[in-house]
Amino acid sequence: MSSHREAPEISKDPVADSTDVYAFVSPDKPGTVTLIANYIPLQGPAGGPNFYEFGDDVLYEIHIDNNGDGRADISYQFRFSTTVRDPDTFLYNVGPIESLNSPNWNRVQTYSVSVNGSSLGSGLACPPCNIGPLSTPDYASLAGAAVHSLGGGVSVFAGQRAEAFYVDLGAIFDLGNLRPFENLHAQYGLNAFSGPAAGVNATNHLNVHSIAIQVPISAVTIKGHPTIGVWTTASRQRVTLWDADRGENVNSGPFRQVSRLGNPLINEVVIAMGDKDRWNSLPPSDDKQFAHYVTQPGLAALLPALYPGVFPNLAKLVASGKPRADLEAILLTGIPAGLIPGFTNLTGTVLADMLRLNTSIAPTPPKKQSIYGLVGGDAGGFPNGRRVTDDVVAIELRAIAGAVYNLVDKTFTPDAAADKLTDGLTPASVSAPLLGQFPYLGVPYSGFDNPS
Amino acid sequence: MPSHDAQHEPAERMSRRSLLQGAAAAGAAGLAVTAFGAAMSPAAAAASTTSSAPAHGDLKASAGGDVKAPAGPVVVHVRNAKSGDIEVFSGTSQTRLRDKDLAARIVRAIA
Repeated sequence: MSSHREAPEISKDPVADSTDVYAFVSPDKPGTVTLIANYIPLQGPAGGPNFYEFGDDVLYEIHIDNNGDGRADISYQFRFSTTVRDPDTFLYNVGPIESLNSPNWNRVQTYSVSVNGSSLGSGLACPPCNIGPLSTPDYASLAGAAVHSLGGGVSVFAGQRAEAFYVDLGAIFDLGNLRPFENLHAQYGLNAFSGPAAGVNATNHLNVHSIAIQVPISAVTIKGHPTIGVWTTASRQRVTLWDADRGENVNSGPFRQVSRLGNPLINEVVIAMGDKDRWNSLPPSDDKQFAHYVTQPGLAALLPALYPGVFPNLAKLVASGKPRADLEAILLTGIPAGLIPGFTNLTGTVLADMLRLNTSIAPTPPKKQSIYGLVGGDAGGFPNGRRVTDDVVAIELRAIAGAVYNLVDKTFTPDAAADKLTDGLTPASVSAPLLGQFPYLGVPYSGFDNPS
Repeated sequence: MPSHDAQHEPAERMSRRSLLQGAAAAGAAGLAVTAFGAAMSPAAAAASTTSSAPAHGDLKASAGGDVKAPAGPVVVHVRNAKSGDIEVFSGTSQTRLRDKDLAARIVRAIA
């Protein structure tokens, strides 16, 4: 949910609303990369009888830039098609769904996958939503059957998954409150909090719809350029007309981008309200016009105001007006060699918001991983791509607070609080366990059991 | 002088004449956006199927020929009636026209 409901227009169109993008070297298949784009935020698992599904009228894409120009060199395209087997029942299913071709499943969704316009597969089954013990009695096996091998080392999955991104939305959007530090918040004189509190994972027990593809690294990189830039988009045809006679929408015209997501939280908390919808409609190659939001982030100015006395050095840095070269590197160009020993994911000088993954860096063994990724000394995690468990909220909060600004300005001393910022959550805040293999995201929460 | 600017995916192009006929037939649907095709009246359907088939990028040259009716709806968007700025959508294509006379006739059809 690093981009859930992040812009005014797309918040009204959840089917096309991208929520998270992950890109990592597959830990169990290190010759491949796994790319995951999540859509349809904040799904209540019990949301029937019309359970969640991808939009047949939406073009979903996962893009890769492998030469650093901020433009897509490789685009995986996903189109969905829904079939209603029996229009004379109100039911999603008329009995237990025990296989993907079960006649009991009334509303079936399949999809096609292409790369740069060439088909990789069609008629691929999505799993149903996880309804409950009577409707989907062995959901894990059912969804497992929806992992499709397309040949050439490519695997795909598209369907409902448990939300794995953890974030305390309720506190953060209550005027930047971080519960572990809420006693230090200015509180606007309201004296609402007297001590620290534990974080609350607002996305726990909720589901999303995931599009996941695993491809050989050699299929997405070019010689001498191991770093790729990844982002997802959703596009709709330019015209949607409500056909009142038939009770359905009619679509026409070319597809135009309505949603975009590369680095987490950028359009959510970095881009200003007035530019969010436009940002969503543009490619990363056009991001130079938005660079000032990154190099002069509003959140960096807010932190010293919201937490008086906690960020004195950040306050001075903000007051100096110096552009944040650290954030520009992390988010818009990649980190050049020489800043962090042995690491780079620089893609060039083009300012483009992309999730940059240096595919030549081997996955970090689980026991050596840090949820703080690169700022935690773990080059296998964000902002070198993004793993499912990475605490991108804390990483970006810390970066914006100046925790790594001294990498580009040796005279700067980060505030003591900068590298301690957190919303109080960890991967343990997510109830659903992750899978050890593709598509990695956990079995979705069932409607029967959630809420409980 | 009418001009036209096709954007993106090439597909069926509308003739000026078929556009007029379709717009007139479906004029009651709305001023800014007019749709016909899947949802249009039989009269409008007949009008469009007998209209001319335009050559790509040349509306005038195609006038009078046979036209292959688009499989789906055709939507006309008069962006600015005064300047004659018109968009036509069909399938996954769009065509941009600048034709004050055509825009005026569409507006009259809906008025």
